[in-house]
Amino acid sequence: MSPLMMLISVLAFAIAGYVIARKRAVGMAGGDSRKLASLPGFYGQNAAYAALIPGFAVFLAGSILTRISLKNDMFGLWADLVTRLPNLVPTLAVLAAGAGLAHAIYRTRPEFRARVAAESWVMILLIAAASVAILTTVAIVFSMLFETVNFFGQYTWTEFLFGTTWAPDFRGNSALGILPLLWGTLYISVIALLFAVPVGLFAAIYLSEYAGPKLRAVAKPMIEILAGIPTIVYGLFALITVGPMIRDWLALPMGLGSSGSSVLTAGLVMGVMLIPFVSSLSDDIINAVPQAMRDGSLGLGATKSETIRHVVIPAALPGIVGAVLLATSRAIGETMIVVLGAGAAAARLNQGLGEMVNPFEAMTTVTVKIVSQLTGDTDFAAPETLVAFALGLTLFTMTLGLNVAALIIVRKYREQYE
Amino acid sequence: MDDMRYLEIDVTAQTNKMTARGVDVFYGDTHAIKAVDVDILDKTVTAFIGPSGCGKSTFLRCLNRMNDTIDICRVKGTILLDGEDIYDPKVDSVQLRAKVGMVFQKPNPFPKSIYDNVAYGPKIHGLTRNKAELDEVVETSLRRAAIWDEVKDRLQSPGTGLSGGQQQRLCIARAIATSPEVLLMDEPCSALDPIATAQVEELIDELRSQFSVVIVTHSMQQAARVSQRTAFFHLGNLVEYGETGQIFTAPKDPRTESYITGRIG
Amino acid sequence: MNTPRKGSLLVQDARTKRRNAAEARFKAYGLTAIAVGVLALIVLVTSILGNGLSAFRQTEIMLTVELPESKLDKSGTRDLDVMKKVTTLTYGPILAKGLKDVIAANGIEIEGLTAKDVDAMISKEASAQLRDRVLADPSLVGQTVEITVLASGRIDGYYKGRVSLASAELDSNVTPAQLRLADALKDKGILVTKLNPAFITAPDASDQRPEAAGLGVAILGSAYMMIVVLVLALPIGVAASIYLEEFAPKNRWTDLIEVNISNLAAVPSIVFGILGLAIFINFGGLRASAPIVGGLVLTLMTLPTIIISTRAALKSVPPSIRDAALGVGASKMQAVFHHVLPLAAPGILTGAIIGLAQALGETAPLLLIGMVAFVREYPAAYSAADGLFGEPSTALPVQVFNWTQRADPAFFERASGAIIVLLVFLLIMNAVAIILRRRFERRW
Repeated sequence: MSPLMMLISVLAFAIAGYVIARKRAVGMAGGDSRKLASLPGFYGQNAAYAALIPGFAVFLAGSILTRISLKNDMFGLWADLVTRLPNLVPTLAVLAAGAGLAHAIYRTRPEFRARVAAESWVMILLIAAASVAILTTVAIVFSMLFETVNFFGQYTWTEFLFGTTWAPDFRGNSALGILPLLWGTLYISVIALLFAVPVGLFAAIYLSEYAGPKLRAVAKPMIEILAGIPTIVYGLFALITVGPMIRDWLALPMGLGSSGSSVLTAGLVMGVMLIPFVSSLSDDIINAVPQAMRDGSLGLGATKSETIRHVVIPAALPGIVGAVLLATSRAIGETMIVVLGAGAAAARLNQGLGEMVNPFEAMTTVTVKIVSQLTGDTDFAAPETLVAFALGLTLFTMTLGLNVAALIIVRKYREQYE
Repeated sequence: MDDMRYLEIDVTAQTNKMTARGVDVFYGDTHAIKAVDVDILDKTVTAFIGPSGCGKSTFLRCLNRMNDTIDICRVKGTILLDGEDIYDPKVDSVQLRAKVGMVFQKPNPFPKSIYDNVAYGPKIHGLTRNKAELDEVVETSLRRAAIWDEVKDRLQSPGTGLSGGQQQRLCIARAIATSPEVLLMDEPCSALDPIATAQVEELIDELRSQFSVVIVTHSMQQAARVSQRTAFFHLGNLVEYGETGQIFTAPKDPRTESYITGRIG
Repeated sequence: MNTPRKGSLLVQDARTKRRNAAEARFKAYGLTAIAVGVLALIVLVTSILGNGLSAFRQTEIMLTVELPESKLDKSGTRDLDVMKKVTTLTYGPILAKGLKDVIAANGIEIEGLTAKDVDAMISKEASAQLRDRVLADPSLVGQTVEITVLASGRIDGYYKGRVSLASAELDSNVTPAQLRLADALKDKGILVTKLNPAFITAPDASDQRPEAAGLGVAILGSAYMMIVVLVLALPIGVAASIYLEEFAPKNRWTDLIEVNISNLAAVPSIVFGILGLAIFINFGGLRASAPIVGGLVLTLMTLPTIIISTRAALKSVPPSIRDAALGVGASKMQAVFHHVLPLAAPGILTGAIIGLAQALGETAPLLLIGMVAFVREYPAAYSAADGLFGEPSTALPVQVFNWTQRADPAFFERASGAIIVLLVFLLIMNAVAIILRRRFERRW
């Protein structure tokens, strides 16, 4: 039995189930559907679901199990079985569908509450869908955890966490300290936030408190467009426009560097990317501050800007802090802009402060190194490859912390004004 | 006692604090206020009464140009404060609002400490030279608003933590701390319980000694209790304006009579 | 109590003036911020358009070439298997000769022009193009045919401002004589720069021939992935939202799911790439570079976006609708599926399109699952060996990244051009979302 045959059979079972169960119910009620506990259609639906859902569930589970067992030499017994009987899984699926169907038809009696039964099948589907979100998180954690444990089997974790040199070498003897990468990540993020937070916040304030309807109608969508532009576009912008501009107009005249990719390039472009993020979050938050509070201040003879600075911003502060945390999380997880704009050379932490803080130097980040260690020819036994999973786990942990903190702060803030 | 009060008014009634002539207000296409003429007397409590939506709050907000904050709102006509047109292009609404303070329907303390709430006005207007003076202004204002005894031990705790009645008295203290010449109150007691209402009413009566107070109220009893002059608004028109006693005992206009006897509104 | 000030309203005192100046400054900051944002957008768009629009035009040379039997089919049998043994190396000189003939026929003489220079005028892609044409129609051998071939990347660059006579002096890949020849050919109408549909349809080309590189495979790969995302993310997302919004009991467990979904929406996209690599490829045994893997990864990434917007849409349907349905004896499930869901549908669809647009532009996770590979074969939607969407492919945004990593600057033009294509797709999707919202938006 091939998968296609299986598909056809299960569908046929479902249609047959619908027709048979419906007929049977109406027949048992002597043709008077008012004597049934549910509408006749529900008896049919229940039988159709009873064939479809177990059939596909068995097929999906069986296929995944087969793939995993063949690829990873796990569940040897199962692997043997499916190699000898290649059509085992589709057959099992059809059997499951048949069994479900038979049971549903057997249960079809006038007093059977078919609507409740049919709806509980739907509920199973809904719950399964909702658990995909949980499974994703679990999969993220496990995908990185296993390889990270492998990595720490080959490389000491203290060296990784506190090492000040990043110099991977596939011939061995790599120095894989995360600190230079973290420094690059944080430095670029700080520049991005120093640019994006004031600009985004002021833009939000101006648009919500000052701008007339005409300006708002033009400026707001334009800033929102920035949010819809994919990061690869920003990356290319950094690579071919901003990078050379900063090099030729700033770095070379000042004698501070000659690199097209630099911390400042990546930071500024990332800042542009974050403007709409900060401004739309701040906009929501500023609008949540009750008008009565503004009136109170204006009624005392405060100017608009005094009202904003002394009343609106302090009232909105927790929300704004939450927005900045979310923006930070975005910044440290951003990949394409830094891949194309920041360069591949890790910061050299032991070469003196001057080089470390020169914004015109190329400097790499955690995300750039995840990409470079996992693309091209990779050997999943070498620590130089596995380190990417440890970097990923570090990144995930950092953003998780920021996201959850931001969520809690923003949620508390909203409750306060509801 | 009431008669005494009227007599007192007659003595001071000569000074007109604010004068409105032919005031029209539009919200977009809606004609909300139609040709209203009112004189607000100094050191007097004036009550605006009328059914909901009659325009009394809108008119009140014209008196310190709070309507400027609403985009679609347009005001026509003249409103004079001490003989100066407050809608003159040269007038700074900020300076105006320092002279004409406002207390709102819902208590709206800032999310700051009690002290900072009261000190906010004097600070932005630069009324005090040093901390000691500011402390003094805060204390006097809180005392005059009859809330000092309740909060003097927790001046640094947030103003939002007070009860509704306390919050409204805090807002009144905040408004009088800038020493305005006119105090506008937009249904200041509608969110308060009867005890808090009584406290605020007592306060209003006392404030009369220094300011001209204009109060919008839903409750005719309240208007009768606290005001010396009453204006009755109906559908955007000022129907009748006169001494409170006269309005409530011998209204000239049949609509006023219907309203105070409970037939409209 | 301090005494009331008796200043006139009509005169601004010094303090008010100062405060108004502060107000004006504050407003100026706000305007500046907006100007910075708008300016950034304008610079970004002009930079991309300026660099990329020329990718949609290409310089071509029209040649008349003889196809000598002696070289292309020595056997004279026109047997395809025999003719296939003749490589592009043989076709190259035929084209070069054709060009020389054209130069001679038009009486063009260029000082310092070598035979090698003439060879290098024509794209290396052209010999393969001619070979394909001959193999498709063997009867052409022995005849004289007209063929339009791509000019080499540098010649093309000359007409797009990338190459100049001065830069050619320093460039080992092009000589000033070639450029003068190109100008002469252009005067005769033999060399033209015209619209280039192959940029959209052709597959990628190797480092040496940027002039032939196209987006065909990338667009196909992106389309496959979008199908996977739409088919999986929309139903799963909507079902999950219905459960969470309408049925889930409010307890710690659902609270956890809630936080989890909000967090997933903010997890760096690269982390999803690691997930795809470790789970789908290394553990699940799916093929690297396959659109199905990319589609699955993007599905997981898009799900939180769709769930969040669907829940917002469900929330905006007033409870009175549910009460009305429940009041006439509908079950909760019927109330949701018959009444709430149809009313929320426009909002859900809008959210789904925006999520899809996000997925279309996503690059980082696809790098990790091998979509950055060089692929010239159009992937089939289904093949027996690799299953559904299982053949190696690349994707639009990844193709952009790929081209930025090439040495020849002509690929930057290609990358910018690819971005224009990507942005046009995004623009269309967002426009559809806006139209949907405008048309069906309901205010309760």
